[in-house]
Amino acid sequence: MTDFSALIPSLVNESVEFIIVGGAAATAHGSARLTEDLDIVYRRTKKNIARLVQTLAPHHPYLRGAPPGLPFAWDESTVLRGLNFTLTTSLGAIDLLGEIAGGGNYENLLPDTERIQLFGVKCLCLNLERLIQTKRAAGRPKDFETIAELETILEQRRRSQ
Amino acid sequence: MENHSSIMLEPDPVIELYKRHIDLTLILENLRLTVEERFVKLMRLQQFAEELRRAGQQMEARQ
Repeated sequence: MTDFSALIPSLVNESVEFIIVGGAAATAHGSARLTEDLDIVYRRTKKNIARLVQTLAPHHPYLRGAPPGLPFAWDESTVLRGLNFTLTTSLGAIDLLGEIAGGGNYENLLPDTERIQLFGVKCLCLNLERLIQTKRAAGRPKDFETIAELETILEQRRRSQ
Repeated sequence: MENHSSIMLEPDPVIELYKRHIDLTLILENLRLTVEERFVKLMRLQQFAEELRRAGQQMEARQ
């Protein structure tokens, strides 16, 4: 299980700049679908990468699905050299994304975010319209049901306004 | 949790077909919850899914 109630506050309390995207963002908007991980787009500045590395280090991040014992070093240079990381931690699965298809990077997505409050902290979540747009841009058949659900939520939201 | 986005989404005929099978009752139930309550519910669902997987593996092992 991914412990969102521990993972999200730990990132916020260490001032990591990130945006919740993917299935967790869909949950925030009211999706009933099961998602197993926390997907975030993180800001790729040296300072933020340092904070991200420090925050996750105590939770033993490792490449999800990789065989044990690989020479994987969780440090700033690893994150700087890479872009997207699918990790397992002691708090659960987390995907760290430098950018997403159809959405770009942290700075590109920032205007289309909203501040949400949960587990005693406030953080940024991709807004519903942009989330749908990024899912559509990814063009994966496995997302069709998710997009249909998100668009239904959007319709409900507009109806109630 | 609501904002006003300027993004325009044109209807997609494939997605429109998928919408016919969406369970609106589950969505309406979730929309009544706070964001935090939605995540708590998700974590319970994850736990349940894990228990089901474990039970399935145990059943396979017994066969």
